[in-house]
Amino acid sequence: MNALPRSADQAIRVIRPVLLAAALVGLGLVLVQAVAAADPTPAPSAGPSAPPAPGASAAAPAQESCLTCHAAIDNTQHDITEQWKISVHGQNGIGCASCHGGDPTSDEVTVAMSTSAGFIGKPDRTMAVSVCGDCHSNVERMRQYQLPTDQLSKYRTSVHGQRLLTVQDTRVAICTDCHGVHDVKKASDPTAPVFPLNVPKLCASCHADATLMKPYDIPTDQYQIYETSVHGQALLVDQDMRAPTCASCHGSHDAKPPQSSEVVGVCGKCHTATQALYEQSRHSRLDVGPKCWTCHGTHDVVKPDESRFFHPNPPEIDCTTCHNPGDRTLILSADRFTNDTDRRCDTCHHETSILYSQAEGIRAALDRANAAYQSAEERIGEAAAAGMIVSDADVTLSEAKTSLIRGRAEVHTTKLSAVAALTDVATAKAAEAQAFADAKLQESASRREAMVIVLAIIMVNIVALFLLRRGIHHDEGPAAP
Amino acid sequence: MATPEAPITQGGRLSDWFEERLHARELFAALLHVRIPAEARTYYLGGITLFLFGVQVVTGTLLTLYYKPTPDTAFDSVKYITSVVEFGWLIRSVHHWAANLMIIFLVLHVVRIFVQGAYKYPRELTWIMGIGLLGVTIGFGFTGYLLPWDQRAFWASVVGTEIAGGVPLIGPALLELLRGGADVTEATLGRFFGMHILVLPLLLGAFLVAHLLIVHQTGLASPKRPTPRPRAAAPGGDAQNEPLKPFFPNYVLDEVIAWAAMLAMLVVLASVMPAGLEAKANPLETPPHVKPEWYFLAAYQLLKVVPRDVGILAPMVGIALLGLLPFLDRNPEVRARKRPLALLMGAVVAVAVVGLSVWGYYS
Repeated sequence: MNALPRSADQAIRVIRPVLLAAALVGLGLVLVQAVAAADPTPAPSAGPSAPPAPGASAAAPAQESCLTCHAAIDNTQHDITEQWKISVHGQNGIGCASCHGGDPTSDEVTVAMSTSAGFIGKPDRTMAVSVCGDCHSNVERMRQYQLPTDQLSKYRTSVHGQRLLTVQDTRVAICTDCHGVHDVKKASDPTAPVFPLNVPKLCASCHADATLMKPYDIPTDQYQIYETSVHGQALLVDQDMRAPTCASCHGSHDAKPPQSSEVVGVCGKCHTATQALYEQSRHSRLDVGPKCWTCHGTHDVVKPDESRFFHPNPPEIDCTTCHNPGDRTLILSADRFTNDTDRRCDTCHHETSILYSQAEGIRAALDRANAAYQSAEERIGEAAAAGMIVSDADVTLSEAKTSLIRGRAEVHTTKLSAVAALTDVATAKAAEAQAFADAKLQESASRREAMVIVLAIIMVNIVALFLLRRGIHHDEGPAAP
Repeated sequence: MATPEAPITQGGRLSDWFEERLHARELFAALLHVRIPAEARTYYLGGITLFLFGVQVVTGTLLTLYYKPTPDTAFDSVKYITSVVEFGWLIRSVHHWAANLMIIFLVLHVVRIFVQGAYKYPRELTWIMGIGLLGVTIGFGFTGYLLPWDQRAFWASVVGTEIAGGVPLIGPALLELLRGGADVTEATLGRFFGMHILVLPLLLGAFLVAHLLIVHQTGLASPKRPTPRPRAAAPGGDAQNEPLKPFFPNYVLDEVIAWAAMLAMLVVLASVMPAGLEAKANPLETPPHVKPEWYFLAAYQLLKVVPRDVGILAPMVGIALLGLLPFLDRNPEVRARKRPLALLMGAVVAVAVVGLSVWGYYS
């Protein structure tokens, strides 16, 4: 009878501290919640001496009042508020007043949008540049975002900026044409129009428009040409972010076509090694000498090969094609290189000239190395198809390829000896690789010969066994399966 | 049916010398001098599989002399075997081809037993041992495939172990057990090698001895008449009137001829299509088309077209059902023509497996 109450008592004694602890924890949680509700200000992120965040001081309570009314006006205004919210400005608390002025703290339209409060309404195209520039050229303001502040000064040097600021041509591109208005996104955002993969389309949105470009008398086919070039294919088809966009060569805020004299530096920004080789050449030392574009073109750069040396039939040229009749100085007319098929050594160098034979020598050296490489590659393929392990040959062949690639690049020095030094290595390595492959093929052939002999021996055995079998079955009776 | 036949004859002096010490003549006579049904049609498939296993033991032992089972050395040692060691290419290529042929002939052997109804009473144990041998042989293929440690080997093993990881409930544990960790690494290579050269050979040896002993005890099946069950009324059965022929030397000689032909085939395959080697395994670079070995293609393709659990469980359940076949198919009839349902079901399974494999190959 006593057992039950006693055990219940024991149970209560055990449970009591647990219940007490649970009650205390619950009370603590309630208190924490209450304190959090009473104090809505977040913990300070910086000390009291930290300078106020730019824009944010007016922004945080400010947009509330602008958005409250503007989101309700009509669909357009509503959309603008929505765009702003997800924009890089909206995300960082840069409010309406930062660009439009006015007093965002007031919910009275006459106060909030009064000119005395600095309200400027919709800035015109000229003003827009300085509105953006006001913040974006301010080092103090931009420091926290780690953004450059030279966009405005660069823009002033660009064709766009110069036309806007000197002749008030408002048709040229301004900040908002490329970055958007209320929906500005970071340049690293893949959906931003200024994201590298989107840049060619962005530039083309104006530059491929014949109506827009008519007053400037400039071509509108750059995008179309670029699209098929080795650069355009790499960027647009392969989505290779290393490939140049329009901005890589022309600049973005400082957009301007590079001058002929600047081209080597522009291409050399990526093609560093080739630039170094070119600078060893006689071409680079001429005032009016051939530059990258002379042989490779501009928007229409294609993958170069050995056909780039000569025309199938040498063109008609005489001294005055390239030299001033008077002082014999060089002339390099861009028109002669418009067509890709005319970007050849013999466009300038006459077939009877010494320099032509130098070019011939370079071409022959490359051809020899190429032929040796291809022959070795083919032979290695045969050996591999015969099931042989050709990794030694592959390694040697890749060494040949390295020398061949370097030899081809060396063409930019225009020095036969320099090219030949590398193509000779390539030819020798290719021959070595081919010898490996030949040995493998030879081994494969010997294996097959040996196979025939072994097969013959096995066949003899089988025949002998059949004869033995016939003897046994003759003695024993019915045939086996 | 396995009836000891010829009397133990006297041999030469050397033979007698051994006989006095081993008393082996009687044993060999019991093993070899038996009679088998004259109508038995084995097509030598089981014997050929046995021969190929023998080839694997010999070539595998030779390969082990040079092979080094660590990720740093495995690929180079296989390359060394294939390109430097005298006749290394031949040994490795024969090992490679005999492995493939062994699976082919094992499957053909199973098909023959199925069509001839030779798994029925009293050969249920032979059949179960045979299915065990099939499993162990596939295990050999699975573990051996990784050993060259080239790209193909590595990634096929990644895919293969991944499939094992999908088994419901025990999958993650099984995956870790197979790989020796979360990924295919040195630990995986070590245990695959250990399995391949020690565990599986012992297992296969045990299954094989049991399989052959039971074959010896029950004798070869006749494809025309079932082995009668002993009846109280007629103890001793009624198969005595069946025509018989000697196992040795008649049948053995035929088998040896088949083995010689198989050896010729191995020589041709190894010479014309020697075992290759891809680039060294790179765990960071997945090749575009990773596929398992051909004998796993059906399971691989099934996994792609049915829900994951079904795709993983179906082959396992299939193998289990195959093992239990003698107990599921209680029809005593052995003649193929009189078992249309069994043959039809077998044909459906065969077409499905071949179809899935071909689909998997071209997918």
